Amino acid sequence: MYLYNELDQTLVNERVEQYRDQTKRFLNGELTEEQFRPLRLMNGLYIQTHAPMLRINIPYGLLSSKQLRMLAQISRQYDKDYVHFTTRQNVQFNWPALEQVPDILADLASVQMHSIQSSGNCIRNITSDPLAGVCADEIEDPRPYCEIIRQWSTLHPEFSYLPRKFKIAISGSPQDRAVTQVHDIGLHMKKDTDGNIGFEVLVGGGLGRTPVIGQTIADFIAEADILSYLDAILRTYNRYGRRDNKYKARIKILVRETGLEAFKAQVDAEWKDSKGGELTLDAAAIERVKAFFIAPNYSVSDDKQLNSDLEKSGAFRQWFKQNTREHKQTGYRVVSLSLKSPHRPPGDVTFDQLQLIANLADQYNLGQARSTHDQNLAFTDVKTEDLFSLWQQLNEHQLATANIGTITDMICCPGLDFCSLANASSIDIAQGITETFTDSAIETGSLKLKMSGCMNGCGHHSIGEIGILGVDKKGEQWYQLTLGGSDTHETKLGERLGRAIAKDDVISTVKDIVNTYKQHRNDDEKFATTFKRIGIQPFKDKVYGTR
Amino acid sequence: MALVKNKQIIQDSWHHLTAEQTSLANTIVSLDYWQQNKQALILSKQPFGLKVSGDLPAESFSEALKHVSLIAIEFPVFSDGRGYSLAKTLRDKYRFTKEIRAIGDVLPDQAFYLSRVGFDSLELKSDLSAKLAIEKLADFSVYYQKDSVSQ
Repeated sequence: MYLYNELDQTLVNERVEQYRDQTKRFLNGELTEEQFRPLRLMNGLYIQTHAPMLRINIPYGLLSSKQLRMLAQISRQYDKDYVHFTTRQNVQFNWPALEQVPDILADLASVQMHSIQSSGNCIRNITSDPLAGVCADEIEDPRPYCEIIRQWSTLHPEFSYLPRKFKIAISGSPQDRAVTQVHDIGLHMKKDTDGNIGFEVLVGGGLGRTPVIGQTIADFIAEADILSYLDAILRTYNRYGRRDNKYKARIKILVRETGLEAFKAQVDAEWKDSKGGELTLDAAAIERVKAFFIAPNYSVSDDKQLNSDLEKSGAFRQWFKQNTREHKQTGYRVVSLSLKSPHRPPGDVTFDQLQLIANLADQYNLGQARSTHDQNLAFTDVKTEDLFSLWQQLNEHQLATANIGTITDMICCPGLDFCSLANASSIDIAQGITETFTDSAIETGSLKLKMSGCMNGCGHHSIGEIGILGVDKKGEQWYQLTLGGSDTHETKLGERLGRAIAKDDVISTVKDIVNTYKQHRNDDEKFATTFKRIGIQPFKDKVYGTR
Repeated sequence: MALVKNKQIIQDSWHHLTAEQTSLANTIVSLDYWQQNKQALILSKQPFGLKVSGDLPAESFSEALKHVSLIAIEFPVFSDGRGYSLAKTLRDKYRFTKEIRAIGDVLPDQAFYLSRVGFDSLELKSDLSAKLAIEKLADFSVYYQKDSVSQ
């Protein structure tokens, strides 16, 4: 993974001191709440229902064991012994004290981490495919480009007071595992006919109140030009994005109101002047960053030990089938650490678990772990001969729930329990779903359920195969369901099932939906396929016919 | 008001156009005034400045650039970032090398970014703010992006 040089470290250290001073002035009354707000937000600090919430960047999801230990230590020293992983591969502390945040940031800086631009109307953490560098279908490893774009966008003087937040995701594979199509900019790595590396650029995707799938604005931008092209898009957005209404301020609205062709013309006009200029990446600059992401020396091994382990235990077999994936190197597997056990809210990890994960990462995974957009962690370089022993230890610590990709592996925002924006709770609904489906999750098959406690959509409900959105109706919590969404390379927004469902009926409604699917599916047909074939009507009939 | 330039608080040698003034020297005029009095301003051979709102496209006043000695970009609220792109565009695309000043709702904590996109003077609300802005200019000794080319 990328390691800081002196410049990177100095910058992060100086940022800590800058923020320490800003916090001090706010506490002294020298900064008003209104003036402090964008400053703290650009350091990832929100004011939530019970306490501030601090969001820390995990650049494109890469974590070292040392960083994991620091997150654990911070959770113990400053918080309540747990952290929460988010859909943008970041991590959140839910209970820090505002006056202690500068100290937390100083601790993070000591392990090359920070919270710069993890919130606010600026360019956020660059996210990517958690399988980057290890999946067999990869066109090009996106991580070096993620790092290049991270550096370019960090403390960007021109793009720190944008109309609204700005999210960029990069995928290096045709199988999109980074939901690039619902980002302000999605980058798909590709090669031209001569083998030159470049990007297809998508613009104007996003979730929230107005979910939109991103559209292709450029078929191929060469790697050398990617920063100047991003710069042109950002400048166009900064100049023309709406600032009169925060709900219409994302680039998706600008693209929609301007029209893609006209917007593209504006970007091209901007780019014409900057293309080939100071932002051009030369081959040496790219190589310098690529050197941090060279594949490790994989040892030559086979699956002999694994095959005998698989004979030993049914539970291990089930976990292997559900929670591990193919690696490009024979003798290795990618392992998902499920953060969706029945014992805690989706995405939450305790102090003890973080310590264990750090130790296991050292022992089995080259000292690294990755966070994923579906709020799990992954070990991407595990020898198959180690899988049994890894599984045993994960299992002891409730990190081996064999449910990856199933209905209990749901994405879920913190909801009303923590978030001051939420209209309804999501954690208790998630618990109910987990209790109801734990025993049948695998048999139910691949089914992506995503849930948000309000229409801001942090839980990605719009692209869930089953989407659940919490709404407030005269002070009561109701839930709006959608079906048939997709977060794949063919991203789709779900279709509305019908009128909102009362809180007490949500679990039984999900049961009805699952049963309808099971009743109609052919053999091991996936939910998406069945839904495409039979449409939404049978689900409506089942859910509303009886109510 | 206090003006910061070259990391110091300085006496402002410029003033905004008022109804009773007789000479136009070192006056900052509005875009309207410029458009209605172009010939007079150019013929006067006195240095003058132009005040523009941060949301204006540079194209709308680019013809003035070769005549003016100062562009004052006004921030309606500190969180409106359009003025940053405007300054950057004036520096990089139009190669404007004279003074660019930030006026309006300008906060000390923004001094560093403002200076890096091409502003060379900042009008702050008070001496206290101006002093703080000077401190804040030194917040970072390093950064990733290159600065505007024409500074």
